[in-house]
Amino acid sequence: MNSLRVFFVGGLISYRALFGWLTPAVYIPALILTPIFQILLFAYIGRAAGSQGDEFYVIGNSIQYASVPCIFVMSQTIADERFFQTLGPILISPAHRVPLFLGRALPVILNALFVAAFALFAGGLILSITFSASSWMRLVPVLAVAMFSCTGLGLITGAIGLRIRETSVLSNVLVGLLLIFCGANVALSSLPHWMAEIGRALPLTHAIAAARAVTNGATLGQVQGLLGKEAALGIVYTIAGFGLIRFMERQSRLHATLERV
Amino acid sequence: MRTLRLLALGWLFHFRMLSQSAFDGFLAILWPLFFATVAFFMFRSGHSVGGLGPVALGAAVMGVWTATSVSASSALQRERRLGTLELLVAAPSNLATMLLSVCLATSTIGLYCIVATLIWARLLFGIHVPVAHPVSFILGIVGIVITIGSLGFLMAVAFVRSRRAWALGAVSEYPIWLVCGFLVPITLLPGWVRPISWVLGPTWGMRAIRAGAFGGNGLPDVAMCLLLAAVYIGAGVLLLDTVLDSARKHATLSLT
Amino acid sequence: MPNGPVIEARDLRRTYKTTTGVIRRKPLEVEAVRGISFAVEQGELFGLLGPNGAGKTTTIKMLITLLLPTSGEARVLGHDVVADAREVRKRIGYVFGGDRGLYERLSALDNLRYFAELYGVSGKAQRTRIDEVLELVGLKGREQERVEGFSRGMRQRLHIARGILHDPEVVFLDEPTIGVDPVGARELRTMISGLIEAGKTVLLTTHYMFEADSLCDRIAVIANGQIVGEGTPEALKAGVAEGHVTEIEVFGVGEPVVERLRGLAGVTSVAVEERDQKQLLVVQTTGERELTAPLLAELDGLEVGRVTSREPTLEDAYVALVGTE
Repeated sequence: MNSLRVFFVGGLISYRALFGWLTPAVYIPALILTPIFQILLFAYIGRAAGSQGDEFYVIGNSIQYASVPCIFVMSQTIADERFFQTLGPILISPAHRVPLFLGRALPVILNALFVAAFALFAGGLILSITFSASSWMRLVPVLAVAMFSCTGLGLITGAIGLRIRETSVLSNVLVGLLLIFCGANVALSSLPHWMAEIGRALPLTHAIAAARAVTNGATLGQVQGLLGKEAALGIVYTIAGFGLIRFMERQSRLHATLERV
Repeated sequence: MRTLRLLALGWLFHFRMLSQSAFDGFLAILWPLFFATVAFFMFRSGHSVGGLGPVALGAAVMGVWTATSVSASSALQRERRLGTLELLVAAPSNLATMLLSVCLATSTIGLYCIVATLIWARLLFGIHVPVAHPVSFILGIVGIVITIGSLGFLMAVAFVRSRRAWALGAVSEYPIWLVCGFLVPITLLPGWVRPISWVLGPTWGMRAIRAGAFGGNGLPDVAMCLLLAAVYIGAGVLLLDTVLDSARKHATLSLT
Repeated sequence: MPNGPVIEARDLRRTYKTTTGVIRRKPLEVEAVRGISFAVEQGELFGLLGPNGAGKTTTIKMLITLLLPTSGEARVLGHDVVADAREVRKRIGYVFGGDRGLYERLSALDNLRYFAELYGVSGKAQRTRIDEVLELVGLKGREQERVEGFSRGMRQRLHIARGILHDPEVVFLDEPTIGVDPVGARELRTMISGLIEAGKTVLLTTHYMFEADSLCDRIAVIANGQIVGEGTPEALKAGVAEGHVTEIEVFGVGEPVVERLRGLAGVTSVAVEERDQKQLLVVQTTGERELTAPLLAELDGLEVGRVTSREPTLEDAYVALVGTE
């Protein structure tokens, strides 16, 4: 199976997972309106608390919220593969893992990128915050890296979903944890040391810091350390996710659970 | 009165069913705790005047809306999925009574949230919430549970034709938190938003609870809270009649 | 007690609007029920018999006020189902087949208490009435268990219990034995007969021929939204009784041959049933003469297996009414 086909077929599966249940009636409230409401909520809480300025919350929450499509849709993609019983054959195929994963992850990443960017734009606009064109040019790669690393986390959730049916509780908990630990609404310096350490091991934390720096005038070169760490985390999560899927698959051959819908 | 009996019994049964559902119960309690935690850190690191007590109280009440927003909006959808919606409509009793009892049951689940959040605030952040006027405090909590349940009832009726009612309920979570003054004083909101806050029952319930905790007369707020609840119920009952007639005409009752 | 029929349907029609196509949706009107009229007298067990999609469920839902007829009218116990819905609902019971329709996480007893309240059984009478119905359907002793653990047969029995809690005069049963094992189904049918003995009127929909035959006082056969035959089971059978039914096994019979068979004198209908590699021809014939010889003559050249001849049953009457276009 040549890598390009692997890439595209995987993409199609993700696309179906994405838009199968995500009709406009769900997409618009869940991925367009809710992130804007979250931004407004925290911006005003910030004002009430006398904490950071509006821009802090616009950036933090746009990126944090995009974890929702990353994690949920990636899990759903894996669940779909299992449902259509294509997971087993894929795992034992000789196809290269990179196009395999990227093919499935790309629609997820692109979709999340759009969600984050739109929230940044619209949420910012409502609070009278706009970003310059040059800021946007630097933001997009930062967002892309963030979504990549978060999708890796989604791969792990999807892998766990092969064993446990109800992963939505787990996914919701992850999104909630990211809300607390990744610096979206509370600067890491304001968190206890141990919490900040956890935050640095999670996706999005470095990307949020990079995004804030970049909108303050930093160049991509200046934030490459942060972006590097974020990308590295993404790779680690992805590898871990793959490994977990292989492990689950081996387990399921013992316990005959992989094809159980 | 038979209606009251039906209301009470329905409330009891649905509350029991909801309490047994791990997903509804566990996540409904946990989810607001994430937000409460973030809020505590924000206020702690910020420069606002005043302690964290009101924040804890506001965060505690957020949970009542979370418990209700999705659950109540999708109540009819749940009955449809269980196959019991037909039976409820075919019964001589008023569907509105039964539906109201479900929605009140979902907001009562919110009591678990209030307790959980206050314990969380106390144990992990050392926040102590006083209770200056116990009667006002309790009435405030009862009032907010009733008014939130009634608001959920109105939403349930309004969204009954939509198969994605739960999504509409979910999108209302943050706006209500923001606009009803749970964590953000109404005075900080733009002028045009304030009238919306005043017509929302939870706003008055929050005021009553705060008065009960920190002092002040919360009873007029409780009255306002219950008055708005009555308005929501009345509107919902009228709307439900129309909706049911339409459902019978267009055969949408048993669609899954 | 009104003097007229207990259930009365007059030219009931029901049209559904739906859409076809995915990209460009075209509106489509489906006529599920096209002018159904019948009457059920007090104490009768009336059956609506028909294949899936014939319009049985739609008809019953109009009678129990869940659906508004597109046109026509219906009355239950003298009350109009559209204008007087509430009066109708007080006096009828509704039982449907399948797994759904109960609160899984509550016990059987709690389900019954809830519905008792909903259906207006007074507080004092509830306890005794619930005990009575549990006894009647044979679930006494299991009422504390949660419904999620019940088998299909037990759920059906609980459904019946629920349906008669408020002692309705008329009970509507929509495919009550569907998916139930044979022993359980037999018990359910006994219970249904018991309802008649208790003085109630019952309207039953089913696609099981033998069920309609054994239980019902009168049957209306429905196909494609219309009644194609009505009467007692005996009367319906009599419609085909003068003839014979000959069953012939053949291997590889083609449509032209079947058409020729249909054209033979004395043949009223020919139905073809696929059975693995062979077909079973079910030929209904009128008259006292056996037509086996002419039939076999037409099948000359084909491999023929068993040939049997028998008396017609209700099923044959049904197939004759419903099957052939």
